Amino acid sequence: MQANKEADFTLDLRGESCPYPVIYTLEALEGMNQGELLQVITDCPGSFRNVPEEAIAHGYTFAQDPIKNGQEFLFYIYA
Amino acid sequence: MKNFIQPVFQRYWNPYVVLLIAGILSALYFGLTSTVWAVTGEFTRLGGDLLKLFGVDISGWEYYDMVHLKGTTWSRPDGWIVWGMFIGALMMVLLSNNFKIRFPQQKRRYVQGLVGGIIAGFGARLALGCNLAAFFTGVPQFSFHSWIFIVATGIGTFFGAKLTKMRWWKGKPTLTRGAAKPSKVKKRIIQPYVGAAIAIVYIGLTVYFFATGQKLLGLGALFGLAFGILIERGQICFTSAFRDLFLVGRSVMAKAIIIGMAVSSVITVIIISVYDLTPITQIAALSTFVGGILFGLGIVMASGCETGMMYRLMEGQVLFLPVFAGNIIGATFLAYAWDHLGVYDVLVESGTKINLMDSFGPVGAILATLAMLGVLYALTVYREKRYHRQLAMKRGVNQHAS
Repeated sequence: MQANKEADFTLDLRGESCPYPVIYTLEALEGMNQGELLQVITDCPGSFRNVPEEAIAHGYTFAQDPIKNGQEFLFYIYA
Repeated sequence: MKNFIQPVFQRYWNPYVVLLIAGILSALYFGLTSTVWAVTGEFTRLGGDLLKLFGVDISGWEYYDMVHLKGTTWSRPDGWIVWGMFIGALMMVLLSNNFKIRFPQQKRRYVQGLVGGIIAGFGARLALGCNLAAFFTGVPQFSFHSWIFIVATGIGTFFGAKLTKMRWWKGKPTLTRGAAKPSKVKKRIIQPYVGAAIAIVYIGLTVYFFATGQKLLGLGALFGLAFGILIERGQICFTSAFRDLFLVGRSVMAKAIIIGMAVSSVITVIIISVYDLTPITQIAALSTFVGGILFGLGIVMASGCETGMMYRLMEGQVLFLPVFAGNIIGATFLAYAWDHLGVYDVLVESGTKINLMDSFGPVGAILATLAMLGVLYALTVYREKRYHRQLAMKRGVNQHAS
């Protein structure tokens, strides 16, 4: 699954520690219109797991597999 | 080689497996040394060491007699548990090429970390143990104070989670329109080599301890290392166990901790019975309850407890410097307040040491413990289900509205 679509919004969470990446991500998704694409950049190791898992548990879908970029992760999530 | 490196260093380990191993190792550590895996007692001693360094006379402080402040942190097995955990976590962070200095975007986090750290350090020592000695390694010792502590921590965490959700506390994220470029990745990878070098030096040190007959220091160093590796690789976060249940209905960590404690309890009761050891019992009093509430609140404010703080700091998360400092300040202040401000007289004196082994015998103790953990597990699942039921209803309403 590759995202051909450019992200509508970017949430830059670099430097933020848990639980704020999860809270911020879910809030951002909630405030967006359905079908819009959110790009999340995060470097809190805890969030590598809990952001994607909670996004899915809260009913959102991923546009593509998470990308590991050095010491950070990129997520592409549909609101 | 790739088949080995991938799952060990590139991916985090399953928290259930990690806490199962941690539960088994902590029972073994007790069997070998008659002490438990704990960290905040040593934090208090570090505070005492610092006070002495600045010329403060602490010889009359009762708390330091109680926690046996002797020698230096390098000559105490509990000291090596702490340093071993730091080094084990750092080693794994470097080997997985994941070290990065991470400054929080929200400057308020530093204040939150320091204040939360102080409250958590104070609360933990008031209750005589943090998420380890009064929780993960306290329950398997059948010390009733850990039961009180768990309930109190749950309550404290609940209020912490409420606080976390407030706008002035959490701050506003920077949501920007369109896509943004990620950081540039460095081509040259040197972190794993540094990690390997640290591993070799540390193993040499451990061998030295055993070779020179300092068995307890060697065991502390070895088990500390193992615990550090485990908490980092499993991203074990006691703070999130309760908090995330309240915040986002997430239950993984709570379930894994409960299962780890259950296994550890079964092994410990066998070890105690076979080798005729005395379980470690702490006083159960009002102080346990008050300490637990403060601890629960503090760890959520600080975004990490005394254990989680350790590997996060080693990952380069700058936020956890004030948290670490806060933990030591809080623990040291409690040691002062214990007799100088009447904490002992008001909150502790009326309490007693209660051990389930004495009250119900080994079979009764393990059955009661497993029943309590079963109830905790059921409550966790109930809470998670309820959260998602409410979420589904909310979404349904939203869809109708739009």
